[in-house]
Amino acid sequence: MAARGSAKRGAGAGAARGSEPQEEPPPPLQAVLVADSFNRRFFPISKDRPRALLPMANVAMIDYTLEFLTATGVEETFVFCCWKSAEIKEHLQRSKWCRHTSPNTVRFVTSDLYRSLGDVLRDVDAKSLVRSDFILVTGDVVSNLNVSRALEEHKLRRKMEKNVSVMTMIFKESSPGHHARCKEDDIVIAMDSATNRVLHYQRTQGLKRFRFPMSLFQNSIENVEVRHDLLDCHISICSPQVAELFTDNFDYQTRDDFVRGLLVNEEILGNQIHMHVTTEEYGAHICNLLMYEAVCSDIIRRWVYPLTPEMNFTDDKNQSYTHSKHNIYRGVDISLGHGSMLKENVLIGQGTVIGSNCSIMNSVIGQNCRIGNEVTLDGAFLWDGVHIADNVQIQHSVICDEVEVKEKVKLKPHCVLSSQVVVGPDITLSEGTVISLHPPDEEEEDDDQFSDDSGVNKEESKVKLKGYNKKDVGSEGRGYLWKADDKNEDDEEQRQSLWGPAMLSEEESESDSDLSMGSEEPDSRAASPQLDDIKVFQNEVLGTLQRGEEENISCDNLVLEINSLKYAYNISLSEMMQVLSKVILEFPLQQLDANLDSQNYFSALLPLLKNWTPLFKNYIKRSSDHLNALFAIEEFFLEHDSLCTSIAKVLMTFYQLEILEEDVILNWFSLRDTSDKGKQLRKNQRLQKFIQWLEEAEEESSDGDQD
Amino acid sequence: MWLWLLGELMDLIRTEGQRMTAAQPSETTVGNMVRRVLKVIREEYGRLHGRSEESDQQDSLHKLLTSGGLSEDFSTPYPSLRANVIEAINELLIELEGTTDNIAMQALEHIHSNEVIMTIGYSRTVEAFLKEAARKRKFQVIVAECAPFCQGHEMAVRLSNEKIETTVMSDAAIFAVMSRVNKVIIGTKTILANGALIAVSGTHTLALAAKHHSTPLIVCAPMFKLSPQFPNEEDSFHKFVSPQEVLPFTEGEILAKTNVHCPVFDYVPPELITLFISNIGGNAPSYIYRLMSELYHPDDYEL
Repeated sequence: MAARGSAKRGAGAGAARGSEPQEEPPPPLQAVLVADSFNRRFFPISKDRPRALLPMANVAMIDYTLEFLTATGVEETFVFCCWKSAEIKEHLQRSKWCRHTSPNTVRFVTSDLYRSLGDVLRDVDAKSLVRSDFILVTGDVVSNLNVSRALEEHKLRRKMEKNVSVMTMIFKESSPGHHARCKEDDIVIAMDSATNRVLHYQRTQGLKRFRFPMSLFQNSIENVEVRHDLLDCHISICSPQVAELFTDNFDYQTRDDFVRGLLVNEEILGNQIHMHVTTEEYGAHICNLLMYEAVCSDIIRRWVYPLTPEMNFTDDKNQSYTHSKHNIYRGVDISLGHGSMLKENVLIGQGTVIGSNCSIMNSVIGQNCRIGNEVTLDGAFLWDGVHIADNVQIQHSVICDEVEVKEKVKLKPHCVLSSQVVVGPDITLSEGTVISLHPPDEEEEDDDQFSDDSGVNKEESKVKLKGYNKKDVGSEGRGYLWKADDKNEDDEEQRQSLWGPAMLSEEESESDSDLSMGSEEPDSRAASPQLDDIKVFQNEVLGTLQRGEEENISCDNLVLEINSLKYAYNISLSEMMQVLSKVILEFPLQQLDANLDSQNYFSALLPLLKNWTPLFKNYIKRSSDHLNALFAIEEFFLEHDSLCTSIAKVLMTFYQLEILEEDVILNWFSLRDTSDKGKQLRKNQRLQKFIQWLEEAEEESSDGDQD
Repeated sequence: MWLWLLGELMDLIRTEGQRMTAAQPSETTVGNMVRRVLKVIREEYGRLHGRSEESDQQDSLHKLLTSGGLSEDFSTPYPSLRANVIEAINELLIELEGTTDNIAMQALEHIHSNEVIMTIGYSRTVEAFLKEAARKRKFQVIVAECAPFCQGHEMAVRLSNEKIETTVMSDAAIFAVMSRVNKVIIGTKTILANGALIAVSGTHTLALAAKHHSTPLIVCAPMFKLSPQFPNEEDSFHKFVSPQEVLPFTEGEILAKTNVHCPVFDYVPPELITLFISNIGGNAPSYIYRLMSELYHPDDYEL
């Protein structure tokens, strides 16, 4: 794999020399690897180990990233570390990347002052580390992509239109619902399909509806594709301008800020972002434990070929596995007891001893573990040196280094046992339990969250040793229960569950979507004003009328209020008429709630209509207003079929209160071009009788007039 | 002038060979070449040491009994050994380069006019074989496409560029079409010590269909693909690649609930094979063991 890079380099240089002898050979491909995620998503696990060194199938995450970079031809990598940088540095220096034969030179840049990706890139710009296009990647990316095609496209684009395209993001095509699509990281993108330019980029977490600005579709681009089947690989090909842009804009902290900022300021600065979609290769970014689980199982099931465990790409003697049927990977020197079964998708590290009658599936077991008899592991991720006693059941949990699980313990799904914890005999840990040796309130004392010598501080300040809660960890247990704290809303991010939003929320969200829109509306970021305002206006009017009823406010004041609302929300008269009628007609419904009986409804409506007659009279002056009101009434009754019978009475009331005139009503009734439902409505018996009576009344009155 | 210690050289080669074969066990050719080089070294040493070429240690039972602990002592240094070994390795290289041509030269003996020949996937050896025959004879070729990588398509394109009448069909139709086929000619990845094949996935189907119809199955493979390993450890030659080819990532949710495998190779037992055509001529599968002893030294079977 590494040879591919150097061969390409040779071929590339040769080709360049052949075709244009004056041009220099292309500069070596560089990469910026940010080995720190600048969030505390993986606390308390990452209190002991930096996230980049968490083992995926017994190989540290950063090794996958470096292997991906080396295989794709990167020759110089800058690794930026902040939290626990010494550990990362030591790990890498021991690895094959820092040998003198490595085709990829690794350089470390460490600083305690980095607080975000933005800081790192500003530092890159300040130190002028990159000379040309570089690959920007975080330390928790697992991929087998070959970036060369995307890189060529990127370079071509920059050559054709002088440096307009600033960044190329790489996405993987993956249907919604795939387990490697992290819910927190999910995006919806609008792109120009001809040039692969990104036009709109939005995170979809928590949103049930997506809004796209009209300007997206109204400009001169012919084919705009809106895609929700993309997984963000967090691999970007950046030009040196990216670093400069970060320096210019001090508030860009993450890649999202950058993308959004660029898209918003497109007309001013003229910078564009493009994208590359890969369908066949794998790329994923591990942002929470659900993703960790998903990517680990993908590695075991060989989706990331050739970065599979038995390839031993890190060249570590302890990591040689043999691959057998059903994706069973066995390390060296392991022993399996009598009657134990490795069912499928299991990886067992070197030196592990497994007792008898165990049943293991979909799990990763680290090196030198001791597993007792009658143990069931399903979806368990055990790191090195774990001791599991007899009769234990573990489901979908992560168990870190050197944990001891005593007899008859049952771990429900989504538990996390952090390093060196002991969980006592005969206890069941409920779903989502996180146990760590670091007490949870230690965080508040930890001002210097990114400092390496936090260990030293802990020793001194923890003079008051807390006892272990027997209920949490069992009689022989050692560890504290780490709960997500609801109090502190601002620091929501660090208290979020390690696992992230659960996969099951799909089914629940559909039932909520029909609830009244009003509750969601404050979230109007990129909104088209029309729709929003009318709804808000409607609610406001409703509120006004409710207050009017409760506090017996005179109609003049109500009129004043409604007028002011009309101007505030920029509603036209006709719309206002419709809204008003609708609100008033719907008013009794809220009070009646359950029994939508015509009779009750009408008896509740009648007093309201009588009270608010001046309101109507104020607004209904011209015939078009009458018509609007009638349309609104029609619409209302169409929506509420059960109340159809009272439409005649309502119209009668309107007529008698002299809100609506006969001519208009007759006009409305005889309108030819109504919808089918409208026609249905008009066939209503009582309505017809009413119309007949009206006609007769009119004739009489007109006769009377003539007389 | 420094003198070589041959034993050290062989150990070095063996270590590197072990490392290389451990990196990708399915690429048996690497191990085969290492063994050939070791054999070459032994031969050169033996020649210089005075042993005649024909006398092989294995030949005489009497010798086995009387010679006792037969450990070849490689410690006697010979100054000309280095040059000899380098020359022998160059000969080996020349032999390797000429294998495809040697095999293609035998085409005319096996392919006759108006024959229908079936093949599967893409093999450079078979392509050269058929192209050579097409210069003098007219025949038809049916290519099974060999899903999921569908390399049969490439084979069909290349053959039709040589004006050979080619038909591509899916793997499912192999048995149906087999009754009209005169011969089946295939390439392979590895030839095992018992005469079995490790060939591209789909070949076992083809071999079974050919056996059922008593159609001769001819394997065109150069000798460097012959590996002295037996298929005793069931999984050692398998290569499973990303399941992307079988069930693509875009399938979404069901991927978490299913196990998808994409094996690259098939095992074809020796009783299904009629003939091996290699650069040293045509041989029956039962003769493979003999060829092996000529190519490799028994001590090198396990690297």
